[in-house]
Amino acid sequence: MKRLASIPFMLLLVPVQVTLLPSLSLFGIRPDLCLVAACLVGLFAGRVRGGVLGFFLGFVQDFFFAGTLWLNTLTKAAVGYLSGVVAKNVSTTAWYSAFFSMLVFSVASGTVFLLVARQGMDMGVVFHGISAVLFPQAVLDGLVSLVAHWIFSRWMGHAPSG
Amino acid sequence: MNGRFRPAVLVGSGTRRIIAVVFALACVAFVLLPRHAQFFIHDVGQPLADVVAIPIESMASLTRGLRDGWNQVFSFHTISEQNHELHQRVQQLRGELNQWQERALAADRLAALVEFQQHTPIRTVAAQVIGRSTSNWYQGVVLNKGEHDGIRVEMGVMTPAGVVGQIVKTTGSTSIVLLMTDPNVAILGLVQRTRDEGIVQGTPQSHVWMKYIPPLSPVRKGDVVVTSGLTDGFPRGVLIGEVARIEEREGDLFQTADIVPVVNFQRMEEVLIVTSPQPVEAMLSIEQALDSRENENAAQ
Repeated sequence: MKRLASIPFMLLLVPVQVTLLPSLSLFGIRPDLCLVAACLVGLFAGRVRGGVLGFFLGFVQDFFFAGTLWLNTLTKAAVGYLSGVVAKNVSTTAWYSAFFSMLVFSVASGTVFLLVARQGMDMGVVFHGISAVLFPQAVLDGLVSLVAHWIFSRWMGHAPSG
Repeated sequence: MNGRFRPAVLVGSGTRRIIAVVFALACVAFVLLPRHAQFFIHDVGQPLADVVAIPIESMASLTRGLRDGWNQVFSFHTISEQNHELHQRVQQLRGELNQWQERALAADRLAALVEFQQHTPIRTVAAQVIGRSTSNWYQGVVLNKGEHDGIRVEMGVMTPAGVVGQIVKTTGSTSIVLLMTDPNVAILGLVQRTRDEGIVQGTPQSHVWMKYIPPLSPVRKGDVVVTSGLTDGFPRGVLIGEVARIEEREGDLFQTADIVPVVNFQRMEEVLIVTSPQPVEAMLSIEQALDSRENENAAQ
């Protein structure tokens, strides 16, 4: 039942990302809610669910994204799947492992975006992208994942350990 | 594993493996399919995108309502409203003034060829900004008009004040505009006073610059830059911005100018999508006619 209830919630993530988050951005940087959702579902519910959810969220997100069509689909699917793999190999999915996993996956996914969005541009532009977008977004994603981790743990009936 | 949520297993490991393989193949297809064949993926996702567009529109109007309510309660209501109206009026008048200046210049230069100046009326579709692009890597906005309204990729987007950007993606009921401040946008611009052309492009810092201005061009701070009409999607003479600074390094083959865009991209709420700009062929025929006229004058 909880899993069914999560479907409309997940479908609402893209509209929230498009309409509400721009008003709540910090220095023009917004967290990527779909990335956080894919990562946490991977951590909590396993790699296949994480990968499939990441694929669908990324697919929908790509239609409201000004860049290449497949970029969100692939990165979110990969993050969902890989976070499931990480969860299988770490001893806990406590808040700190969720935070650091999110940080690493956000940097990895941001690097893919950087390579595609700033393709063929000079190194100054690339370094600006790293310092002004990639790292700030990773930190924001990490912070949002902490809040989402707390909610997720309560919702799924598990107190966060650690 | 301590603290890990383990859901009830609904599918066997074999089924899971099949699901994983199907999605992995779909991912590979995304990358390997040539760009022109990706319309298939686009068509598959179109209904889903249309469904998601419904809550986007609702949330956009909710956000607008909340923002308006907030402004009315917590700010000097009348002053803010008047300021907003005046700001919009000034922008509109600047745009109109610029169009008139451009027309006056064209009329001076092409006085004898006025019969060629039958401007094809620009056809536009008004649209509302309902959101921002989902990523920090591209500066884009989402509009509430899409393929059902005749909107196509590469159409130009403007406000009465000036250029906004270009349509890069469409769904049935929405479209995505890549703003002029994005480094991936390039528009052919014209310095109105000197008639020098250059490429107007965004920067990662959300500024705009004009590249490849001829080295001997007397372009200076305060010069107005307009569209040249040779870029797809825009008619000639739409205001882009004003030159704020000229950068001319020794050894460079061209000059570069920092442009201050005339449109405030943060506060933009309504835009016009140019569905039918003036055909380039017409402009070329005017230029050719002008050349022949000048030759005739020289011969006399």
